[in-house]
Amino acid sequence: MVKKKRGVQEVSDVAEPVALEETTVDNSLRASLEEIKKYDGVIGYIQRNTTSASIDFKDPTKIMDYALLSSLAFDAGRDFSELFDIGDVKSTLVGGKNVKMLSVIIGENKISVFMEKNADAEKVLTRLQAS
Amino acid sequence: MDTEAYSSALKNALNEVQNICPDIKSVFLFNEEGQIIAGAENTPESVIIRAMDALDGLLEKAEIIDGVESISFEASKGRVNVSRMSDLYLVTLASEKADMNYVSTVTRVVIPAVIKLLDKVAPALLKDTPVQVEAEPEDSTFEEAEMASEELDEESEKMEHEEQAESEAKSETILPEAPVNQFIVENLGGLFVSGDTVRIDNEILLKWKELYEDRAIEEAEIETFGGKSTRCKLKPIKDSKDEGKGIIQMPEKIQAALDIRKGELVRVKPVVE
Repeated sequence: MVKKKRGVQEVSDVAEPVALEETTVDNSLRASLEEIKKYDGVIGYIQRNTTSASIDFKDPTKIMDYALLSSLAFDAGRDFSELFDIGDVKSTLVGGKNVKMLSVIIGENKISVFMEKNADAEKVLTRLQAS
Repeated sequence: MDTEAYSSALKNALNEVQNICPDIKSVFLFNEEGQIIAGAENTPESVIIRAMDALDGLLEKAEIIDGVESISFEASKGRVNVSRMSDLYLVTLASEKADMNYVSTVTRVVIPAVIKLLDKVAPALLKDTPVQVEAEPEDSTFEEAEMASEELDEESEKMEHEEQAESEAKSETILPEAPVNQFIVENLGGLFVSGDTVRIDNEILLKWKELYEDRAIEEAEIETFGGKSTRCKLKPIKDSKDEGKGIIQMPEKIQAALDIRKGELVRVKPVVE
């Protein structure tokens, strides 16, 4: 019993500041994503971490496909990082004929922003990295 | 042979691109069917296969964005770019110091130009005509050239006679040269799997059968890039979802005999009976 109590104490001592920091990042990121959503040509975004996910699209019918593509882009980035020893992949831009997807890892969060081909991906990236 | 010439020309072009841009650490081309078209000298085939595997899902599921035109992975120590060029994908790995505008200009100008040129030349490569030797040696006199020309004429006449005699003796119809296809090895297992049989796309089997009308194609010659080869029985892939992926399903016994593993590339040509 005593041991158990000590264990709980230790965890809460360490976990509190981390949780606070994560909340700050999440709030800042959420604010950035809300702002990015209003940028010209932005179709929507997917943000996920180990505990939660938020998805916001103008057309919700394609959410599953967008989510799958986002996940595959992160997987491919990880594979290339290992294969070519290029370090951590900071961003991935997948350009389609009409739509492009920008995927970024910020802390624990994996974010993919979908936008029209002519939208300013650089502006989106800068805003995300400032989060 | 024509494919080899095409591939070799592209390989040279890719090597040249690397010479122009030393910041390009690796460069290769593959097509929509997942076949390696060419890779620069310092890019091993195993690396290309792993890179294609990494991109496979992404390219496949990109219908939602109407297909991939380009992909760029920006990492702390380098950058990987994938550019679509008609039905080919060009992959370049550049160092973090690389001037990406320069890299992009070189790759997007040189490679498409070479591909375009080869596409024009390719029909000539496909022609089944013997090579015409023009007796015009640079360092010889007119007389020497004339003699050489005469010798060549005599030799070609002799060869023609020999060929004619040979073909008359055989009195058989000449079969077209066996096509060589490249496939990625996939494991084939299960209770009812025969240890001496490989499976490939039915579409390719039908094409081969069409090429050799009335001939049975029940076996294939499999050759690895390491130089090992074997002959196996041939059957079509059973599961339709595995079709059109450019794979050859192979029992582990044959893989062991050829000293290869899943994911490696092999050349396959039909054995015409």
